Amino acid sequence: MKRMNLKKYTRCVFAIIAVSAFSACEKVIDLKLDEAVPVIVIDGGISDLNENHIIKISKTYNFTEPNKFNGVSKASIVLKADGKVQAAFVETLPGVYQTTTKFKGKSGVRYDLAVTFEGKTYEASSVMPARVILDALTFKTFNFFGGNKSYIVANFSDPAGVANQYRYILRTKGVVEEDAVSEDRFNDGNKVENVIFYELDDLLKGDSVHVEFQCIDRNVYRYFYSLGQNSGQGGPPVSPANPPSNFSNGALGVFNAHTSSSRTAVIK
Amino acid sequence: MPFTIRVVLILLFTALFQYSNAQTRRTVNGNITDSKTGETLIGASVKLTGSTPAGGITNAYGFYSLNVSDGNYEISVSFIGYKTIVKKMEITKDIRLNFALEEDNQLDEVVISATKKNENVSSPQMGLQKINVREINNVPVLLGERDVLKTLQLLPGIKSAGEGNSGFYVRGGSTDQNLILLDEAPVYNASHLLGFFSTFNSDAIKDVSVYKGGMPAQYGGRLASVLDIKMNDGNRKEFTAEGGIGLISSRLKVEGPIVKDKGSFMVSARRTYMDAFFKLSSDSSINRNTLYFYDINAKANYQLDDKNTLYLSGYFGRDKLGLAKTFGFNWGNATVTLRWNHLYSNKLFSNTSLIYSNYNYVIQNFMEENNFEVNSSIKDFNLKQDFEYSLSNDHHLKFGLNVIRHTIAPGKLTADARSSVNETTYENRKGLESAVYISDEWAVNEKLNLVYGLRLSAFSLLGPGNFKTYDADGNTIQTKAYASGDFVKNYLNLEPRFSASYQLNPASSLKGAYTRNIQNIHLMSNSTSTSPTDLYIMNSNNVKPEIADQAALGYFRNFNEDKYEFSAEVYYKWMQNQIEYRSGTDLRGNGNVEADLLYGDGRAYGIELFLKKRFGKFNGWIGYTYSRTERQFDAINEGKWFYAKQDRTHDLSLVGIYKAGPRWTFSSVFVYNTGNAVTYPSGKYQLNGRTVFYYKEKNGYRTPAYHRLDVSATLEGKPGKKLQSSWSFGIYNLYNRQNAFSIDFKDDPDDKTRTQVTRTTLFGIIPSVTWNFKF
Repeated sequence: MKRMNLKKYTRCVFAIIAVSAFSACEKVIDLKLDEAVPVIVIDGGISDLNENHIIKISKTYNFTEPNKFNGVSKASIVLKADGKVQAAFVETLPGVYQTTTKFKGKSGVRYDLAVTFEGKTYEASSVMPARVILDALTFKTFNFFGGNKSYIVANFSDPAGVANQYRYILRTKGVVEEDAVSEDRFNDGNKVENVIFYELDDLLKGDSVHVEFQCIDRNVYRYFYSLGQNSGQGGPPVSPANPPSNFSNGALGVFNAHTSSSRTAVIK
Repeated sequence: MPFTIRVVLILLFTALFQYSNAQTRRTVNGNITDSKTGETLIGASVKLTGSTPAGGITNAYGFYSLNVSDGNYEISVSFIGYKTIVKKMEITKDIRLNFALEEDNQLDEVVISATKKNENVSSPQMGLQKINVREINNVPVLLGERDVLKTLQLLPGIKSAGEGNSGFYVRGGSTDQNLILLDEAPVYNASHLLGFFSTFNSDAIKDVSVYKGGMPAQYGGRLASVLDIKMNDGNRKEFTAEGGIGLISSRLKVEGPIVKDKGSFMVSARRTYMDAFFKLSSDSSINRNTLYFYDINAKANYQLDDKNTLYLSGYFGRDKLGLAKTFGFNWGNATVTLRWNHLYSNKLFSNTSLIYSNYNYVIQNFMEENNFEVNSSIKDFNLKQDFEYSLSNDHHLKFGLNVIRHTIAPGKLTADARSSVNETTYENRKGLESAVYISDEWAVNEKLNLVYGLRLSAFSLLGPGNFKTYDADGNTIQTKAYASGDFVKNYLNLEPRFSASYQLNPASSLKGAYTRNIQNIHLMSNSTSTSPTDLYIMNSNNVKPEIADQAALGYFRNFNEDKYEFSAEVYYKWMQNQIEYRSGTDLRGNGNVEADLLYGDGRAYGIELFLKKRFGKFNGWIGYTYSRTERQFDAINEGKWFYAKQDRTHDLSLVGIYKAGPRWTFSSVFVYNTGNAVTYPSGKYQLNGRTVFYYKEKNGYRTPAYHRLDVSATLEGKPGKKLQSSWSFGIYNLYNRQNAFSIDFKDDPDDKTRTQVTRTTLFGIIPSVTWNFKF
């Protein structure tokens, strides 16, 4: 919460100064960027829902190319739960690997993922935290510089005495619009109302907003926190870097054992 | 460097030995002041020609002291912008000679005497840039706000930290590696409005010196530079007021005698009123916002008698930002300096300073369910004792001590019962930074001058509190509780300082310097610009003192009877215990921030060229710097050296001031620099359906080159009136260059299947007008 507010401050200060200077402007430009050697990206998770869990494996590609999922085939995947092999994976689409069976991940269990591709093995582990559920979604309107802005608020009760990390995935029309994280460093044990800073004002009456609420472990939190710092999200820009992956051997991406609870709100 | 330390010690012993054999000498000393205002003049030159010639310049309090044998002398006293006084007299005893110099407004008609206009050539000091405060008034600036720090950035070796930013980088150092002193008090956050304006109101400033290298031993505590700013003392002769009304701020200064010719005061204040325009808006989301800053400089001095003078000076500044009734954010500095100048004998000058400095910020969130307030501060109590002793005519000693007690309150979070935020207080940290120093300026012969010295600096981290020790991966390996007054960790360092000049002929010299600097207090900032909430930490179990060794060589030359001055300096700097962060480090309210720190080395080198025309209808300068600055951290960039963010290859500044007549002055500034080293993507991928960028290496790219032309014109009112007024007109960025404030990478909002690069420009062409008055 605090983090988001701080970013708001800075954004507003810049906005005010820019307005005062009459002339701040943003323009699309051409910039020559390097074409780096492709690097493997592993994006996967185990949830506590009874489902086929998915691991996506792809490679990086050039900035100028159209956005796509650049999946790679023929990777082999081993998933262990507390040291025992848990499930087999099958490739359903290029780069998309799915467990052959449906099962629920369990809180407190350590999941180890090993992905072998082109002779190299990339390993990560993640411990599924205790489950906290999303109680409700509410709306909040801010009277910021230049007008009203509406946002969704996630309401939940943080368990006292333990460090919790949360991730919020906001989707409208099936598209991920916001993917943010928070922790309970400043509000441990309290009823929390966390604003998800995705502006709802472009949505129409009757549109629905879906929020998936995950409890994630510390390393996964740090990965997404770092990702948020890179994209700036309006705050003082940090010098960007690849977020700290929990995979070994230089793979990008993250392996996330998480709990999941979802709510949908409809714009009135 | 035990070798340099040994050399310094041997020289010091030799000097003291020589002294014991020295013959009887007479001391000539006194103060040099401005005849009209009684302001003491810093750096004025006094030269005695006769049987044992001697020369020197006034210190920070306008005091000089020379030793000569009995005889007839011609005494010549001069200072740039003032008429030279020449006086003949016989010296047979110790004598006090005070001089009041008359200001010379016809700069272009100054008769350049052969006395000491070549101080820049003959002095062993190198790496020093001085700014004439009058020059600042004519240099065009953003929105017409005259600014010492922005004018400094036009000098070689000193680089702006960004568009319109008052932060600066010196010889490859970062912004927190500059020691910024205002009447000896360290200023922790020298900027307003996130860096767009400096905290230094040029009305209140008398003298600005910046040391880029070769720092004399009395300065210490930061790696890269010392910016020493002295405030005006106030007019000792009569009451005057002056001020100005500008587009975004107004200023007023009042000064006058407390007791005529004995004491004076000066109060200078300014406030911005950007938010006054918000009030004009009928939109409640605009007119309820607050955004302003103010600062007040105040100073008083009183001369008790010939041997004792007291000075009290203070600075109070604050920025306030409020967004409707939702958020509040304010920050600012307060400094107070009490000084006592005392003459123990004709040869021993002493200054004792008691200094208080406080920087704090407050963040408030008024939203009911999440309300909170954050308070954070850094507070210093500082005692300085400095002595200047004229050992003989050839040796001038400076020695003294300095003790600073730092208290850092990293954050106190308070909230009321309705809030979901828990109250938290992070442990305060206390530290004791102390130093003793000695240095000697030695005129070996007509041609060779040396300044050499030693500074012994100690740092102790003090209890109470729980102190953690971390391993290389940031895991806690030990937590230990300490009681109040316990020493948690001590560091002791010797800093040798050495500079020499060899005069090739009256107009040119070669200089060399070696300096070691230690820094015990470090600014934690992982953003690309500085923010008021950046956190200071001290040396600890984990953080070691930063160390910089700098070697520099220079060639100094004046032309055309000192009308032109030229210098070329090369430097190489080696830095140890530099600090960076692991990615994803959260600096806010982070009690364990040291777990996220990485330590490495740095190196910087460059060449700085400077050509200045000092007098005439047309004057100004050209500064050019070629430089490199790099860092190496085992855990960053695969351990390979990378360019620091302040690395810029070429940096060029042109400043021209043309006095077209008694009333019109025109001036212009052009700057060009290579873009900063920066990290841009070298690829992309998808994660959870969103585009994520891939960074191949740290700071492997450059921001686009920056250049800009500013012009300004000043029209002075008709002379002779009681109320003197002037108009300043300025245009910033005359040809509307779209310089990049930031470059962003994102999905194209109109076509989500593509990514795009956008450039944000903060300041295009901006006109300004200011009305100044004086009576």
